[in-house]
Amino acid sequence: MAFSAMKEKYRNKVNTVVLGATQEEGGTRGYTVTVGGESALPFLHFEGEIPNRPVVALEIWDIAPTDWNESFTPYYGDVFDNPTQWAKKCVEEYGADVLVVRLKGADPDIADASPEDCVKVVQDVLAAVPCPLIVLGCGKAEKDNQVLPAVAEATAGENLLIGSAEQENYKSIAAACMVHKHSLIANSPIDINICKQLNILITEMNLSADRIVIDPTTAALGYGLEYGYSIMERARVGALQGDKMLSMPILGNVGHEVWRAKEANISTEDMPVWGEQPNRGIIWEATTATALLQAGMNIVVMRHPKAAALVKQNIAELMVPTNFEA
Amino acid sequence: MDKITVLFNPDNLAVQVEPGTSLLHAANLAGIELVSSCGGDGTCGRCLVKVQDGHVRVKGTGNISSRAKQAGLVLACQTFAEGNVVVDIPGRSRLEEHQVLLDEQQLLVEKDVEGAEGFKLQPLCSKLTLTLTPPTLDENVADWERLQTAVRNEICCSDIRISLSVLKQLPEALRAGDWQVTIGVTQINGCAEVIAVESGHAKTSKLYGVAIDIGTTTVAAHLVDLVSGFTVSKKGTYNKQARFGDDVISRIIHASERPEGLAELHHTIINTINGLLAELLQPGNLAAQDVLMVTVAANTTMTHLFLGIPPKYIRLEPYIPLAAATPAVKAQEVGLNINPEAYVVCFPSVASYVGGDIVSGTLVTNVAKDERITLFIDIGTNGEMVLGNQDWLVSAACSAGPAFEGGGITYGMRAMKGAIDNVEINPDNFEVEVSTIGRCRAKGLCGSGLIDCLATFRNVGIIDRAGKMQTDIQTPRLRQAEEGWEFVLVYGEDSDSGKDIVITENDVKNLLRAKAAVYAGIHSMLNAVELDIGMIERVLIAGGFGNYLNIRDAITIGLLPDLPAEKYMFIGNSSLKGARLALISQEAWHEAQELGDKITYLELSAGNDFMEEFMSALFLPHTDMSLFPSVTNAK
Repeated sequence: MAFSAMKEKYRNKVNTVVLGATQEEGGTRGYTVTVGGESALPFLHFEGEIPNRPVVALEIWDIAPTDWNESFTPYYGDVFDNPTQWAKKCVEEYGADVLVVRLKGADPDIADASPEDCVKVVQDVLAAVPCPLIVLGCGKAEKDNQVLPAVAEATAGENLLIGSAEQENYKSIAAACMVHKHSLIANSPIDINICKQLNILITEMNLSADRIVIDPTTAALGYGLEYGYSIMERARVGALQGDKMLSMPILGNVGHEVWRAKEANISTEDMPVWGEQPNRGIIWEATTATALLQAGMNIVVMRHPKAAALVKQNIAELMVPTNFEA
Repeated sequence: MDKITVLFNPDNLAVQVEPGTSLLHAANLAGIELVSSCGGDGTCGRCLVKVQDGHVRVKGTGNISSRAKQAGLVLACQTFAEGNVVVDIPGRSRLEEHQVLLDEQQLLVEKDVEGAEGFKLQPLCSKLTLTLTPPTLDENVADWERLQTAVRNEICCSDIRISLSVLKQLPEALRAGDWQVTIGVTQINGCAEVIAVESGHAKTSKLYGVAIDIGTTTVAAHLVDLVSGFTVSKKGTYNKQARFGDDVISRIIHASERPEGLAELHHTIINTINGLLAELLQPGNLAAQDVLMVTVAANTTMTHLFLGIPPKYIRLEPYIPLAAATPAVKAQEVGLNINPEAYVVCFPSVASYVGGDIVSGTLVTNVAKDERITLFIDIGTNGEMVLGNQDWLVSAACSAGPAFEGGGITYGMRAMKGAIDNVEINPDNFEVEVSTIGRCRAKGLCGSGLIDCLATFRNVGIIDRAGKMQTDIQTPRLRQAEEGWEFVLVYGEDSDSGKDIVITENDVKNLLRAKAAVYAGIHSMLNAVELDIGMIERVLIAGGFGNYLNIRDAITIGLLPDLPAEKYMFIGNSSLKGARLALISQEAWHEAQELGDKITYLELSAGNDFMEEFMSALFLPHTDMSLFPSVTNAK
């Protein structure tokens, strides 16, 4: 007797969100990237449509990072203090489809870069590469409220993905995205309720749901990955079961989390039994990312080009449909 | 022309008036103030009363609603007594809500809602006048057995007892009245006991009972004439145990960890009640000896402390009380200053946190006799709730914290004079209008004021759905203080203390948690029995706080389920009403005993469901907006 797979029928699908805008669409990007749209759990092609593959985005900073592991130096050491060159390298050499520009320099405790400085960095990167951009603030609400609206205004029409709005601080960023036609990252602290509440708050400001990507926060392998995983999974199942306020594509700040972990960073000399550091860190980042892909992550923000390559390969393999009928 | 008598119920106050006097005037003479906005012109339609008996002349009906007319209500100012009449005054016709004055000029608010109907007057203690056949040499049955025979002819009970001390009074009492005797008989749970004997057929013989509601914070009591069933007087006061802590947990700790703690708490509540008893008896100069029955409805901890039994294990997992149903005791055993032989009975509890007060409320609201699915909820420091109908009943308790009673809120206070109970804010300029209980200068906000405030803040956009203050709105009332953002409701020049009355962002968060706990309790209970909110056919709200609560506001903030307003009903202090009902109806008392066994208790702290529900309820109105369609669509 022929095998017939049990299929779950879902009521809803994940929203699609477009990153970037081409010239015809009011921007300057060479191409756009669409995420989301799936009507089944991750990679279960036989159950529903998975029209868009998960996207790997490489992260660059506006200033030279001081706390990145030495194993990045062979890749980025020559471009760390030049965001445009760094961006070009990510796209041209490491095949990034999307870039994340983290405006770490704006942090008052680091370089306290002015909104104008930040705008210039973003504009320069836009000019240097054709790919869609994700722009993240420094993470300090008060400063981000000055910087991100300025960036949004100066790049109106580019349809950047700007982040992050949080429950305690969402209004000015959401308003800026709405007015200047960008998309928004809604970040919640590993809490499915706050994740949903923030989406309600933002959509009630009339930012349309297809301009929101959620970052439910995750953790690196060994640091609570399973919590991040289960929240992501709940959001995804919620979306498929019809919850419109959980139907946004999911972004995961993987690189940021992994490269804070001791296991990714500690040198081979200090911990010889753990194996060689560069590979260990790369595998730590790739493992965290591939685990979260299974929970439903749509945009993976990564740091190490080798880890990113491994994840892209994993995605390519998983995007080959399984056909039980054959 | 002879004067006529007008008797006002439920006060049981009678006045002599000339025939043709308006009922409004008669009520004033009796010291009862009715709402009469138009001053007796028959136009405002608010002085509604019901003529129960007697001849009256109705001059006009003004603009009373057809529903009121159907219910037999008339305007007191337009209705004139022509003969002796008996008039019933509904609570809403009284000037101010019916308020029991408490110590320190504070108010315990209570509205009269009729007790369950359909119980016949058959008090737990009654007086019997008996004429015994005198003994002879041939018919030489002993005094007590002779009395027993006579009692058996009057009441349907074979198990008739007497205490030693009453027995000692018997021989002289029988003979002094020439074998005519008046006795007090208590009938509880199928047993009868002769607890008082008096020689002769005393016409003036009085018989009273007292119904007591012991709350953690307040104690309220009714003195009831057990012959007529009418309430003679009502009093309320603060539970003097408050000095050992505000909540049941701190009382339990005091009782368990201090050597004299339990005795202290026991004596304190007995003192509190003895003070109330004295006040109850004082107006008519009534004798404490004539009080022969007491019913007590209280939460489980208060019942334990009242009886002086250790409550220690209520607080410790798995949260077990010493007894759910407690034995009937004599007044002298607990130290109440009434007839020492009088019986005192406490309503049975369901569980450690669903007590006799809830059983009493369930009794008086007839939840267990109605086919409609009813949610009965008592909102206080603990939210206690009962859900079900004639076929099944479940109960649960959740800890809401003291916010609705004013605790943990910067300007929170109990519902007493000076408490803001209503807040209106102009959405254009954020100007505020408040009203206070007693129409005096504002001192703070009571629970209903806080709920109203939260709903209004949300409606005009001062806070977002997560309870965060929207600092971009233009008004000097919203300002940053040391502790964070705050909104000024009443400026110092208009407040009682001269200080600005504010609501802080932290207050909003505390309220959010309190309302989330109550809603999560309701929802978890519904989940446990797999019912949707829409299946609830009526919601009864008890507690002093319930009377002022604006249902629309409570739904707007997601405290109560989104059901049509007509499904909601306030029932005031249902615990006290149930105690009063049981006092005058053996059948009701019997039912209360059964209810204690019948109600299934759901422990919300077992499992994760409550916590998940709580987290999703921390939003205005709720993270799952589809649960509140009327709030979402109104926007």
